[in-house]
Amino acid sequence: MDAPKPVNDADFLVNKTRIRILGLSLDDAVKYFFGGNALVSVLVLTLITYFLFQEGIGFFKQNDRNLLTYRQAGLEYVDHIRTQESGHIALTRYLSDLRLRQFNHFTLDRGLEAVAANRELAPFDTFSEQYADSVEPIRGLVSDLTEQATAIKTKFLVAEDKKVERQQLLSAGKPEAAAAVQIDIVDFTTELKVLTGTLPVYKATAAEFAGKLTAALAAAPPLPTPETTARMERFRVLTQDYLATFPATLRSLETWDYTRPVPWYQTFTAFFFGRQWLTASFWQDWYGIVPLFIGSLMVSAVALTIAVPLGVGAAIYINQIASAREQKIVKPCIEFIAAFPSVVLGFFGIAVLGQSLRWLSQQEGLAWVPGFPFSERLNILTAGCLLALIAVPTIFTLAEDALQNVPKAFKEASFALGATRLQTIIRIVVPASLSGIISAILLGLGRVIGETMVVLLCAGNRIAIPDFTAGLAVVTQPVHTMTGIIAQEMGEVVKGSIHYRALFVVGLVLFFLALGINYLAQKIVRKYRISIG
Amino acid sequence: MKFSLSFALVLSLAAAGSLSAQKLVIKGSDTLGAKLVPTLAEDYKVRNPGVSFEIAAEGSTTGITAIIQGTAQIGMSSREVKPTEISAGQAKGVALKATIVAYDGMAVIVNAKNPIDKLTKRQVEQIFTGDVADWSGVGGTVGAFSIYTRNTASGTYSDWKDLAMRKRDYAKSSQKMAGNEQIASEVAKNPNGIGYVGLAYIHAEGIKVVSIDGHIPGQAEIRAGTYPYARPTFYYTDGEPTGEAAKFIAFTLSADGQKIAEKVGFVPVR
Repeated sequence: MDAPKPVNDADFLVNKTRIRILGLSLDDAVKYFFGGNALVSVLVLTLITYFLFQEGIGFFKQNDRNLLTYRQAGLEYVDHIRTQESGHIALTRYLSDLRLRQFNHFTLDRGLEAVAANRELAPFDTFSEQYADSVEPIRGLVSDLTEQATAIKTKFLVAEDKKVERQQLLSAGKPEAAAAVQIDIVDFTTELKVLTGTLPVYKATAAEFAGKLTAALAAAPPLPTPETTARMERFRVLTQDYLATFPATLRSLETWDYTRPVPWYQTFTAFFFGRQWLTASFWQDWYGIVPLFIGSLMVSAVALTIAVPLGVGAAIYINQIASAREQKIVKPCIEFIAAFPSVVLGFFGIAVLGQSLRWLSQQEGLAWVPGFPFSERLNILTAGCLLALIAVPTIFTLAEDALQNVPKAFKEASFALGATRLQTIIRIVVPASLSGIISAILLGLGRVIGETMVVLLCAGNRIAIPDFTAGLAVVTQPVHTMTGIIAQEMGEVVKGSIHYRALFVVGLVLFFLALGINYLAQKIVRKYRISIG
Repeated sequence: MKFSLSFALVLSLAAAGSLSAQKLVIKGSDTLGAKLVPTLAEDYKVRNPGVSFEIAAEGSTTGITAIIQGTAQIGMSSREVKPTEISAGQAKGVALKATIVAYDGMAVIVNAKNPIDKLTKRQVEQIFTGDVADWSGVGGTVGAFSIYTRNTASGTYSDWKDLAMRKRDYAKSSQKMAGNEQIASEVAKNPNGIGYVGLAYIHAEGIKVVSIDGHIPGQAEIRAGTYPYARPTFYYTDGEPTGEAAKFIAFTLSADGQKIAEKVGFVPVR
């Protein structure tokens, strides 16, 4: 018998044309296409992470130089004296608070007119003016030293830039132009002698300042009420404490050494624990993330406080209690909120919500609420309310999903044992889906922390740690956030400068925060999910 | 077939149209770029059709940065360039050249219902640096100051520190707004508000200008040099301006351009 003939496609009555894409069968082609898509997304994610790190890590070295220049150019020296000056300013603020209390006493308790009250306060005003003016010699010294130190720093920074310029001209093959670039080498020892040489002047000025303070204090007028008199006594004690810090300041100036190195870890601690984010300063730029971090946390906390009860409550209602018709209407409505562009919500916040909240806070009947009345319409509360609006659809959808995934058997068993509907919901369904609900809340948090437009427009943009001593009223204060600062300062940074890289590091912090929240959410779902069957 | 042909025709016409148009990218100061430069651009477009403008007014520092990085042809600035910026530019091979286009005054504004209408220079410094925290400290009704300033990208922010605050830093409680209009609207809505805006924005509703040591910001005072917070405003270019940028700058400095500047509220150069 012959070997079997090879089958010819044309012999079959029903033919299927075999498609060959790049030599692969259709099945394989589709498989590789989808696999390729997955690979591209992983690649893009890796590239983005890599570039974030590349641009951001350079910041720490530049910050180290920044801190070193702060010391070497003598700015640290001047700041010792400047701290002394700010101590005095704090005391004058205490005095104006004291004046305010007296003013209130005269106008409210005694019922005087404002003009008459001001007349009564004239001796106190003379006293506080004398007290405030006593700092003038120190202030003049600080101002002169500031100019000198700034000049040294500018000279140094310009010399650094000129070195870069010469390097670039050399590498571009222009040796004559490179040689023509003039670089003033800064010799810190000689430059700083001008600053440290003012120490005897400082000693004399500080002694004069202390003398004027004591003299002004001795001439303090008597005060109208026992409460204000007690405050005046406290003020005397505070001034004595302040005067007691003078020797310490003098010692730090005498022992100041510009060659002391900056420890390697300081660049990291200065960023992650620095309480000041100050850029475009004539004096010194500080890059500390704490005020921005706290701002982001505060607006997120307020947003979640509002969004979690609303979102989870709505999910429980829609999933367990609502009739089919209610479900059909309400569910799409809540999910539609997610369709609002955040910039529209931000605009709504400025134009309507901030205004209304402030009007509401100034109503007589609501004065008992902590923080009411407030005068700024852009603050944590406004931003928090809008962020809650953005977070509710996320939390609602995911919580509702979690509730949906509770097996029907649980509910049926509960009814079989005689539980009422409410008991079943509270004691069986919600605890069973708790991991999913917590994960929904965490994902809502992740959404809210990364939100930019709303906080940029509505949170008030004050770069300072809010005053927590006011208790709950802290939510009526304006803040700035990490996302807001990146959006606001992005346009003004030169590529490769320290400010540019600092913004990238803020971006990295946000990235890791969101990564951590997502990871936590997934871990909770996986670990605590009720096994089915 | 017919549809795709006509579609291709429309596309090519659009491309040709945009090819023949000259584009002028101007970035920088909000003081200049919110009102003055767009008005000048409109007038310029009427006289020179075929020129399109892209104006982004996000703060003087963004304008200078854009010139250094080569992403704009003209950088509007309401402050002078810093020596570190000049050297940073030179390091990239860019020579920043300034052209004064108008003079501006920074006016201190308060809410229209505020009883205060005059302040001294010392009080202005105390208010904006946070030395004094309450209106009653300067003779007004009781209430904490709500200070509205520009943000760090702004030249006005920098000039204010230089002219009004003796280079000290702003109070921690100050709020940073994105532009002159925003400051004006916040002060108008907040009885405790205080802020500063350029001359072109003092006629907004709900605010009033405070006199400083008896001087009110206005054309006469700024020309005479008696108002303390007056400053020149600039266009920055990479070296001598050339091409369309040079023509636009010439138009700004011409009699027609300066008349527009005067109408918007600035003080002309001549």
